[in-house]
Amino acid sequence: MSAQPVMPSRLPAAEMTVGPFFPPRYSDAGANDLTRLEGEGARGEPIDIEGRVVQLDGAPTHNLIVEIWQADAAGIYAHPNDPRHLEADPNFFGWGRAATDADGRYAFRTIRPGQTRERDGTVRAPHINVLVLFSGLMRQLHTVVYFPDDGGAKDFDPLYRAVPGPRRAGVVAVAEAPGRYRFDIRLRGEGETPFFSLDDGGVR
Amino acid sequence: MAKARPGGAGGADGLGRTVITVGRFDEPSQSTPVVEGYRQTALRTPAEPLIKRPFTLSELTGPDRPERRLALLGTDLAGHGAQRALGQLIDVRLRVLDEDGAPLPGALVEMWQANAAGRYIHPNDDDHAPVDPHFYGAARMTTDATGCLSIRTIKPGAYPVPGSGRWWRPPHIHFSLWGRVWMSRLVTQMFFPGEPLNGQDRILHAVPDADARERLICRPRSPVDGPEDTLVFDHDIVVRGRRATPAA
Ligand SMILES: [Fe+2]
Repeated sequence: MSAQPVMPSRLPAAEMTVGPFFPPRYSDAGANDLTRLEGEGARGEPIDIEGRVVQLDGAPTHNLIVEIWQADAAGIYAHPNDPRHLEADPNFFGWGRAATDADGRYAFRTIRPGQTRERDGTVRAPHINVLVLFSGLMRQLHTVVYFPDDGGAKDFDPLYRAVPGPRRAGVVAVAEAPGRYRFDIRLRGEGETPFFSLDDGGVR
Repeated sequence: MAKARPGGAGGADGLGRTVITVGRFDEPSQSTPVVEGYRQTALRTPAEPLIKRPFTLSELTGPDRPERRLALLGTDLAGHGAQRALGQLIDVRLRVLDEDGAPLPGALVEMWQANAAGRYIHPNDDDHAPVDPHFYGAARMTTDATGCLSIRTIKPGAYPVPGSGRWWRPPHIHFSLWGRVWMSRLVTQMFFPGEPLNGQDRILHAVPDADARERLICRPRSPVDGPEDTLVFDHDIVVRGRRATPAA
C-alpha cells in the first residue's frame, strides 16, 4: 500500500459566471501574445489565430474571455505532469488571454504547437486548448483548435475522434494565409462549436 | 494501490513520482448551466450535449506562475485618509485549497467587486448608483506559503440586474483562480452571511446542493479578532486538482 494523503478530500467550489463586469484591465495588453515572455522569443513558427464569437441569435459577444493553453513547438508542456517537461522551451509560456471586442472578435499570436506525447506513448495532433468565460455562462466552456494542415495527424487524435463526424469541422481552424488561421466560435444554435465535458470521459 | 476516484484521470508516470490529477466532476455541487430568469444563459449555453473526452496531458498540465503573463495588482482596495473608499471596511482572508484539502501556495487569484453603492467601474455598468472616485474594485495577487491571502476592501453593495424584472444581486465578490492544471481553472463568487437577498439570488440558487451553496458564503470573525475599524471574514475556495499517488 502506498502512502495516501492524510487530509480529507474536499469538493471544489461551485463555478459561477464572470458576469458582465469582468474588469477590462484584466485583459492586459499583450496577454494574447504567446511568442514572447520576459526576454527572448519562443522557438518555433509564429502563427496568428483570430476569430469571432457569436451567441444563439448570431449577435456578437462583447467582453467574452478566451483563454488558451498549449504545448511548445516541440509538443512539450512546461508542467511536471509532462515527462518531457525539463526539455520545454523556457521562453514559451503556453498560456494567454484575450477579450472579444464589440464585434465579437478576438486574436492571439502564438507558436505552432508540436505533437504532444502522453505517458503511455499516445501522440496527440498539434492543438490549442481553449477555455471560454462569459456573462450568462455558468460554467467554463472547453474546446480545442486543430490545424487543417497537420498532415492527417488529427485523424488519430483521441479528442478529435471523440467529436461526432459531422461536427468535426467545428474544431478545425481555417487557413487564411500562411501562418494565419481563423477559428470562429458559435456558443449555441446552428453550427454550434463542439464543446467538451469538464469530466474525464474515461480511459482511452 | 492508488486511490483514484471513479472517473479520475492521471496516475503513475512510470518512475513512481507523484503526479497531479483531478477528481470526478460533482454535478449537484455545481451550477445548473441554464438558469430560469437569467435570460443570457439560454442564449449562450451550448444546446448540444458536451462531448466526452479522455483527459490527456493537455487537461492535466497548466501554466506555472501565470503572473508572469498577468501583472499583479495591489491587495488594498480601500485606501487610506482622504483617499479612503466609502463603505464598511472589511478584510477578506482567503485560503485556496486543492481537493485533498491541502493549501495551494503561490496560487494566482483575481477578484473584482462593486463599490458600496453597488456600482462597478465598467463600461457595461450604466446603473444610476454613483461611482466612488477612490474605489476601482479589482485586485490580482498570489497566495502565500500557507495558501492564504488577505484583501483589504469595502463591503460591496447589492445591485439590480438590468432588465431582469427586479432581480437584485446580493453583496458578492467575484474570484478567478488558477490551480495546478488546466482543469483547475475556476471562476466563482463569494457571498456574505445573513443577507436577505441571498435567499432569492438566481445565481447562488443555480447550485442545487445546499451544502455547496453554504460553502460560497464567507464566515465572519468576531469583531474582537480584527483591527478596530475593520470586520474580518474567512473564506476557503477549493479548486480542482489533487496529488495522485502512483500504484507501485
Ligand atoms: Fe457582480
